[in-house]
Amino acid sequence: MILLLGFKIQAQDCSLSIRGKIIHLENNEPIEAAYVWVIEAEEGAVSDQNGNFTIKNLCRGNYTVTIQYLGHKTITDSIKLESTTFSKTYRLEEEAVGLQGVEVHGHRDAVQTTTAVSALYGENLMESRGENLGESLKRISGVSTFSTGNSISKPVIHGMHSNRIMIMNNGIRLEGQQWGAEHAPEIDPFLADEITVVKGAETVRYGPEAMGGVILVNPAPLPTKKFSKTNLNLVGGTNGRMGNINLVHVGGSDKIKGLGYRIQGSAKRSGNVKSPDYIQENTGVSELNLSSSLGYSSSKLGVEAYYSLFHTELGILNDSHTGNLSDLQNIIVNGRPFADGEFSYDILNPKQRVTHHLAKLKSHYHISESWKLNFQYGFQLNHRQEFDKRRGNLNEKASLDLELYTNTVDLYVNHTHKNELSGTWGINFIQQANSNVPGTGVTPLIPNYDMVNTGLYAMEKYSKGPLEVEAGVRYDFRNVSTARYINQELRTADIAYQNFSAFLGGLYHISPDLTFNSNLGSAWRPPNVNELFSEGLHHGAAAVEIGNPDMVSEKSLKWINELQYDGKRTHLEFTAYLNPISDYIYLNPTGEVYTSLRGTFNIYEYLQANALFYGFDFAGSYEFTEKISGYLKGSIVQAKNTDDNNYFPFIPSNRMDWGISYDFSQATDSRTNKITLSNVLVAKQNREPDFDIAPPPSAYALFNISYNKEFNVGDDKLNLGLQVQNLFNTSYKDYMNRFRYFSYDMGRNVLIKINYEF
Amino acid sequence: MSTKSNLYLIALAVASLFFSSCKSEDPVPENDGELITDVTLTFQEIDASGNALGAPFDFTASDSEGIEIGSAPDVETVMLTKGKRYEMSVDVYNSVAGEDITEEIRAEGDEHQFYFLGSAFTSSPFLSYEYNDDGAELIGLKGIVTVQQSPGVNTANIQLLLRHALDKNYPGADNPNFQDYAKAGGETDLDITFPVVVE
Repeated sequence: MILLLGFKIQAQDCSLSIRGKIIHLENNEPIEAAYVWVIEAEEGAVSDQNGNFTIKNLCRGNYTVTIQYLGHKTITDSIKLESTTFSKTYRLEEEAVGLQGVEVHGHRDAVQTTTAVSALYGENLMESRGENLGESLKRISGVSTFSTGNSISKPVIHGMHSNRIMIMNNGIRLEGQQWGAEHAPEIDPFLADEITVVKGAETVRYGPEAMGGVILVNPAPLPTKKFSKTNLNLVGGTNGRMGNINLVHVGGSDKIKGLGYRIQGSAKRSGNVKSPDYIQENTGVSELNLSSSLGYSSSKLGVEAYYSLFHTELGILNDSHTGNLSDLQNIIVNGRPFADGEFSYDILNPKQRVTHHLAKLKSHYHISESWKLNFQYGFQLNHRQEFDKRRGNLNEKASLDLELYTNTVDLYVNHTHKNELSGTWGINFIQQANSNVPGTGVTPLIPNYDMVNTGLYAMEKYSKGPLEVEAGVRYDFRNVSTARYINQELRTADIAYQNFSAFLGGLYHISPDLTFNSNLGSAWRPPNVNELFSEGLHHGAAAVEIGNPDMVSEKSLKWINELQYDGKRTHLEFTAYLNPISDYIYLNPTGEVYTSLRGTFNIYEYLQANALFYGFDFAGSYEFTEKISGYLKGSIVQAKNTDDNNYFPFIPSNRMDWGISYDFSQATDSRTNKITLSNVLVAKQNREPDFDIAPPPSAYALFNISYNKEFNVGDDKLNLGLQVQNLFNTSYKDYMNRFRYFSYDMGRNVLIKINYEF
Repeated sequence: MSTKSNLYLIALAVASLFFSSCKSEDPVPENDGELITDVTLTFQEIDASGNALGAPFDFTASDSEGIEIGSAPDVETVMLTKGKRYEMSVDVYNSVAGEDITEEIRAEGDEHQFYFLGSAFTSSPFLSYEYNDDGAELIGLKGIVTVQQSPGVNTANIQLLLRHALDKNYPGADNPNFQDYAKAGGETDLDITFPVVVE
């Protein structure tokens, strides 16, 4: 009896546990597979991929905990375990000694945030090779594209695109002519080792305009020790007879410790693409891209220099360029180009030629163990030329010719302490000069302008065991001055904007498998120069667009919640968001026409209204057996004009994507050998605006098949991929493609993708 | 060139890039080269053997504002006489840039073609048109207009359409009153409707 009682008391006391989270001191990234050992209890645990661990069934008392991880200093902590569960965050510091031959593979979050984040890397990124950024990102649920034909596509996050989302090229905000619907982001996806999509409002961290989300295009970190690896990608596609080559070489110096470099180049050429029944004339693309970086890092100091060049020339579908409203109506009624077309690689007018240079210099210095000072300077030059079908010598001249210079300076400090608090405080400075290159023979659509934006921000994060809470504030002020001639008369304007933004977010690991995060962020976007000052004919679109110089900044609040489950065989992600926006700017058809000797044109004006965006994304995968697995993902976006109680144009319709894979490889073989059949289902957009020049296209279903196999060639790795997109050569139109008015989308495309790593 | 002067040139190039990146260029007024402000139809009466009779007369459509919103072009009414034959020439002018666009159209005759539509040529035709350009190319800068002897109505419209970058070999594209002109591809550079009265 006494014995039994004693046992019972002991059992009660011994149901305590130690929970914790292990992260890198340097960057707060979670550490997977760190070893935790409780000396007195002789119990141990290994941290999961979120860095979490739990040691259960401990009794009251004092314990010594050791935490070990390869290449890091061991932490020894004394714990007094009392009535409640103990939990703590441990920050491991990297050891200065270089470990030869140790390579850490796997995925690391590019950004430490409590908001919903999805990334494209590894096998999925490899499958997307050969596609542009927008197309690649369609693989992430909640991300779709807003496109102009088959070669221009802009990523859309939760219904927002262009200047409402931000793209970061290796840490520098990409500043191109993003305002135009037919202006694709000036970035080569081949420079990335990982592309991350932040779905929440991140104005505080990244500055104004990061309203709907942020896309981070990041190369892999540079090696800091002797290293050499070269990667060759070859992609060929039957539709458009596309060829794409990419070569990356990454090296680490043997002589100078901490010195590493990367050099990358890619080239792409494709001709006229084929819709199931005809060839789309003048839809070729020619692209040439380069990037390189050089970095040095020691225990105290890190320096990185980076340069990237993006150059593209692309043709615009012949019949899409219309002279006036009746031309536009004629082709809409026809539903496809008038001619059947012939294959050609030639890129003729109308066409676009864009060159984007980006250079950056980044440095950090560890002032002390817990304080780090960072400096980053970025220079960008974007040169965009658009050529129209014109008469005589004018054909050689661009009808839109813009040069945009951007300088960005970031200065910030990070602090990470052994206690639960970490944070970033900084100042961000952006200066821009946009000029119309004279001699186009066309009154410019937008004026020349200068913009200066200064932002001050601070963010703090508190982590304790399974809980992380984060908050931040930012204040920005911006000045824009514009000048241009209209009918030989100089018109200038000076406008100032300022705004305060803030966010509050939290993340909680309900269990090692289940995580919930929630983030509420405010964001703002000053009106763009085209929204303020457009006045005149938008050539080719048969539209006259009128801006409003008195417009105020858009202000938004985005609340995003995500539940993630990472089981042994099941992975689930569910995201829901609510995004009210005040003074949302949109282009509204006035219903009036403008008459000239050229014919009539629809008149559109920029208006502001209150908007409510909300929706859901889901993504899940399940391993039925060791051989067979399946996935399902989808998204729903609703966007209402709450002032007029109607819908905005060009918001993605409901879409879903599912697939089944069969793995041929042996259980002991980690090399890929997999076939996947997938099906994309896109609904008709029933939430259509009151006015559209053509009704939304019907729903469609596409089937795709892909096979990937990895080989070893000596010490080298070879990956072969065969993909068939639009397997049944289905004729379809997508609501989010502006050329749905003029043409069906691309037909079947068979692609061969080779990746050789040596 | 010495290394020193090379370095100097590089430094100069970098410096100029830096300075140009700090301030936008002063705007320069553009003359809209594509703009058409005046279109003139000149009629010269001719006899059966093509000889000119009397003095030529013309009718103009003008829009001096170019693409300014809110103004409509001024279009004169074309007055013709029943039963007569005219040689009609079209002149196109850009008064903003001071350019004669007629010449440009003639020089690019393989890419341009006028079509003559509107009720005067189509639904209740009392006018007929034949291309009579100087070269072999059908452009429509010069043509023969014949007015019926006793038309059922005496007022109608002439729609003057200038198509650019069309497929001239498309079946039917050689018909000056080709209503399916859109099927031959290309885009519209001019689209003016003149009222016409015959007496």
